[in-house]
Amino acid sequence: MSDTNKQKSGGKKSKVAESFRKKGFQIFGLGAQDFIRFFFGGNASLAIIILILICVFLAREGIMFFPDHHKGLKSYRLAGQELVDYVGEEIDAHTSLYSAANVAYYAEVNRTSQEEDTILRAYRSVLANVENMTKKTWGRLEAWQEEKEDLEDELEDLLEDKEKLTEAAAAPAAAANDANADQAADTNESEDSAAKLAEVNKEIAAVEARMKELDAEIELLSEKLKKEVNVAIASDEAWDLGVGADQPPADSIDEIKEAVLFEAHPDADEEHAFIVEVKERSKEKKAKAAEELTGFKDTVKGIQAAVRPIRSYHSDLKKIAVENKREIEKFSTAPERRKALLEGAENTEDPEDKQEMLDRANAVDITEPEYDKINAPIYERVPEHEKLAADLKAETEKLYAALPEVSELETKSARESFGRAEVYNERFQNRVEENTEKVKEWRHDKNLSIFESATAFIFGKNWITNSSWHDFYGLLPLLSGSLLISIIALVVAVPFAVAAAVYVNQVAPYGEQNFVKPAIEFIEAIPSVVLGFFGILVFGETLRNVSQVEWLSWVPGFPMAERLTILNAGLLLAFMAIPTIFTLAEDALNNVPGALTENSLAMGASKLQTVFRVIVPTALSGIIAAVLLGFGRIVGETMVVLLVAGNKIKIPDFTEGLGVVAQPAHTMTGIIAQELGEVDEGSLHWRALFIVGMVLFCISLAVNFTAQKVLKKFQKI
Amino acid sequence: MAGAERIDQQNSGFLAKVSVSSQLAECYKIGTRGSLKEWGRSANVTRGRKKSRPNNTNPTLNEVYMKKTLAILAAASLLAGANADEIVIKGSDTLGAKMVPQLAEAYKEAGNDESFEIAAEGSSSAFTNLLAGTADIGMSSRNIKDSETEEFTAKGMAIKDWTAAYDMIGVIVNEKSGVEGLTTEQIEGIFTGDITDWSEVGGDAGPISVYTRNTSSGTYKSFQEMAMNKRDYGADTQKMAGNEQIAEEVAKNANGIGYVGLAYTDKDGIKAIAVNDIELKPENAKDYPIARSLHYYTIEGKLSDAAAKFLAWATTDEKAMEVVERVGFIPAK
Repeated sequence: MSDTNKQKSGGKKSKVAESFRKKGFQIFGLGAQDFIRFFFGGNASLAIIILILICVFLAREGIMFFPDHHKGLKSYRLAGQELVDYVGEEIDAHTSLYSAANVAYYAEVNRTSQEEDTILRAYRSVLANVENMTKKTWGRLEAWQEEKEDLEDELEDLLEDKEKLTEAAAAPAAAANDANADQAADTNESEDSAAKLAEVNKEIAAVEARMKELDAEIELLSEKLKKEVNVAIASDEAWDLGVGADQPPADSIDEIKEAVLFEAHPDADEEHAFIVEVKERSKEKKAKAAEELTGFKDTVKGIQAAVRPIRSYHSDLKKIAVENKREIEKFSTAPERRKALLEGAENTEDPEDKQEMLDRANAVDITEPEYDKINAPIYERVPEHEKLAADLKAETEKLYAALPEVSELETKSARESFGRAEVYNERFQNRVEENTEKVKEWRHDKNLSIFESATAFIFGKNWITNSSWHDFYGLLPLLSGSLLISIIALVVAVPFAVAAAVYVNQVAPYGEQNFVKPAIEFIEAIPSVVLGFFGILVFGETLRNVSQVEWLSWVPGFPMAERLTILNAGLLLAFMAIPTIFTLAEDALNNVPGALTENSLAMGASKLQTVFRVIVPTALSGIIAAVLLGFGRIVGETMVVLLVAGNKIKIPDFTEGLGVVAQPAHTMTGIIAQELGEVDEGSLHWRALFIVGMVLFCISLAVNFTAQKVLKKFQKI
Repeated sequence: MAGAERIDQQNSGFLAKVSVSSQLAECYKIGTRGSLKEWGRSANVTRGRKKSRPNNTNPTLNEVYMKKTLAILAAASLLAGANADEIVIKGSDTLGAKMVPQLAEAYKEAGNDESFEIAAEGSSSAFTNLLAGTADIGMSSRNIKDSETEEFTAKGMAIKDWTAAYDMIGVIVNEKSGVEGLTTEQIEGIFTGDITDWSEVGGDAGPISVYTRNTSSGTYKSFQEMAMNKRDYGADTQKMAGNEQIAEEVAKNANGIGYVGLAYTDKDGIKAIAVNDIELKPENAKDYPIARSLHYYTIEGKLSDAAAKFLAWATTDEKAMEVVERVGFIPAK
C-alpha cells in the first residue's frame, strides 16, 4: 500500500517537475503566457458583450412599445375618442380660419391709431428701460418710504399712549387737589405715570427726529432719482425700443420724455396727462375705424358664431368619450389594482385592515365593459354630425365670400393674414368633407392592425404626453427637428473643417501646424452644457439682435422673433462637429502616400494643383467618412439642443422655405433627456422614449456603417 | 503579536460601533412606526421597542424595512457620526427651488442640527423616490394620482398628505407689452393655440410666443386643469426647463407669454397680468382663478422622528410661515 502510494506521488512529483522545467508554470495545461493572452482577449470581448447587452436591453424594453402602443390606440378607438377627435379637427381647422380673419380685422382697425399706438409703445418701453436703469436708487427710496410709513404708525401709537398718560396724570393730580387723602400712594402713582410720560415723550422725540432725518433722506434720494432719470432718459439705452418696434414720431419725443419723467417715481400713481390723452385718442380712432368696418366685423363675428353648434356637439360627445375611456382604463387596470390590494392584505397583520383590503379586492370589477353599450350614446348622435358639418361649411363659405376683397385692405399685415386665411379656408373645406365621411364610416370595433399602429408612431405628427385626453406618440416632429438641426450643422461645419484640414496638412508651415491643430482639437474639450449656456445667453441674443438689422432683412427667416431656434442650435453643433471632422479628414489627408505628391510636383504641377487634383481626390473617401462620423456625433448630441433648440414639438413649417431655420424645434435626444426622468418605469411613455432611443441608435449605426463602407469601397490606394 | 492584537481591537471597536449604531437605528425605526398618528397629540414621542406597542400594525413590513434601513443607517451613522440626522426631501421644483431650502435653513437656525438633502426634479419624482425609499419627504405641486396611490398600496404603504402652502400661478408677459389683463377664456385660447396674435386680445399686433413648463412639472398639469379647461397645449408652445427659464425668455421676447409661480413674478423684464380682472396679489388668493395648494407627502409610519418634527415645524411654526411668505407663497395656516 504505502509502497505504491509512494511510487505514485513520486511519479507525480517528477512529472510536475518535468513539466515545470519544460514549459514553466501551468494550470490545466495552460501557461502564464496563455493567461496573459486570455486576460487581454477577455477584456476586449467583455466590451463587445456589454455592447450586445446594451442592444438587447434597448430592444427588449423598446420592442414592447409596439404592442402597448397598439393597445393604447385600440382603446382610443373603443372609447370613441377617435370620432370625437374627427369633429375636433374640423373645429380646429375652422378656428385657424377665424383667427386669421380676426387678425386681419384688428390690423385694419388698429391701422388708424398706428401713430398713437407707436407713441404708447415707445412710452412703455422707455419707462421700463428707465426704471431698470435707476432700479438701485428706486429700491432704496421705496425702502425709506416704507420705513417712514412704519414710523408714522408708531408715532400714532405713541401719541395715543401719551394722551392716555396725560389724562391719567391729570386725574390723580386733580383728585389730590380736591382731597388730601392717601397722599403717598397717589404721589407714587403720579410719579410713576410722570416717569412713563417722560419716557413716551422721549420716544416721540426720537421718532420725530428719525422721521425728519428720513424726510431729508427721501428728499435727497428723490432729487437723486430725478437726476438719474434725467440722465437715463438722455441715453440711447433708454430708447432701445426692443425687437421690431417702430420709432415714435419726432414731435412726440419730448412729450414722451416728459411723461416718463413724471411717471418714473415711486410716488406717481396717476398717468401723465399726455399719455391719458393719447390713449383716449387711440381709443376714439379705433372706435371710428370699427364703425367704418362694421360689415367686416360682423362677418368675422359670424364666422366665430357659426362654429358654436358643432362646438357644443363636440363637447357633449367628449364627455361621453371621457366616461368611456375611464371605464376602459378601469377595466385594464383592474387586475393590477386587485393584485395590489391582495398583496397589501398579505402584508398587513391587523385583521381589520386585512379584511377591509380583502373586501376591497373582491369588490374590484374585472368584467370587460360592453363596448357596444358604452358607445351607443355616441352612435345615437353620429347622424347629427352630417347636418352640423354641412351647415358649418355652407355658413363659413358664405361668410368667407362676404369678407372684404384683399384689394380693399389697407395694411400689409391684414393682406398677409388674408393670404393665410385663404389657405386655412381651403384646408377647412377639405377637412370637413374628409371628416364627414370618416365620421359616417367610423366603427368603434373596427380592427386596428399592428401595422397601422406602427405607422401611427413612425409617421405620427403629434407627440403629446401627460395629456388629460389621450397621449399621442408620433416620431415625425422629433425626427424632423433632429435631422434639420444636424443638416444645418453639417452644412456649416463641413467647409470649415475640411478647408482647415487641407490647410493644416498641406499648406501651413510646421510651426503653424503645431499651433492650429491642437487649438481646433481643443474645442472638443469644451463641455456641451457650457456651450448650451453660451448659446442661450450670448449667442442666441446676439443672433436675434443681428437679425433685426434692416439691411439684413432679405436673409430668409430674419428678423427672428425667438432666440432659441434651429439655427442657433445648428450653429453651435457645427462648432462641436468641426474638431471631429477636422481630425479625421486630416488623418485621411495624411494617409496619402508622399510619392503621389512628389510625382505630381515632378510633373510640373503647382502646389495648389497638386492639392486639389491629386491629394484631395485621393483622400476623398476618408473625408466623406469623416463627414459622416461628424454627422453621427451631432445627431446624438443632447445638452446643446435641449437648452438651445427651443423645444417646440411640431414639425417645422417648411412652407417658409429657408426661413424655417428661425423656428424652434424639439429633437429626439432632447425629448429623452427631458421626459425620461418623470415617467413610470414600464409605462407606455417610458417605452416610447426607449424606441426613440433605438431610432437614434439605428441612425448612428447606419451612419457608421456607411462611413466604413465608403472608406473601403472608394479607397483609391 | 502586538500588531495582531491592535488589529483585533480596531476590529472590535469597529464592530461595537456598528452594533451600537444599528441598535440606534432599530430603536429609531420601530419607535417611529405607528407613532406618527399620535404625533399631533403629543410632542414627546417615546422611542419604545415594538413589543410595548400593542397597536402596531405592520410588523412584517417593519422587519423588511429594518433590514433595509439598518444597513444604510449603520453605514450613514458611521460616516456622519451618530447624532446628525439627515432628512432627504425630493420632488417638485416649485417647492424645492426656494421654499424648502430656506425652510431648512431657518429650521437649522432655530437650533436644530439636522442636515438636509434636497433635490428638485419635478413632482413625479416625489412619488418614485418615496416608493423606492430614497426620500423621507416628497414635495409635490399637484395632488397624488390614483395610479400612484395604487403603487403604494401594492407595497403595503399608506401615503399621508400635508398641505405645505398655497401657490398662485402668475401669467406673465413682457413688461413692454400693452396687455394688462386677460380672461381665462383668452388664456385657454392662447395656450391651446386657438389665439395666435396679440391683436386678438387687445395688444399690439405680433405673433404670440408661448412658453410653458415641460411635462414632468406639476405646474404644467395644474395650469392645464385650472386655466385651460384640461385641453392639450398647442403644438406651438415651447417647453422650458423651469420657472426661471420661462421668466428669462419672456423678459427677452416682447411677444412672449408664460406662467410662473408667484415667487418668480418680480423678476426683471416681466409683469404679471390680471386674470378675469383679479390682480395677482397674495390677498386675492381666494378669488384668483389660477391658485392651487402645494403638498408634502410622507409614508404613514415610515417617517423618521427628525423628519416628522421638521414637517410639524414647517407647517405650523410662525417662523416657517414667515419664510413661506418671503419666498412668495401663501402660508397654509
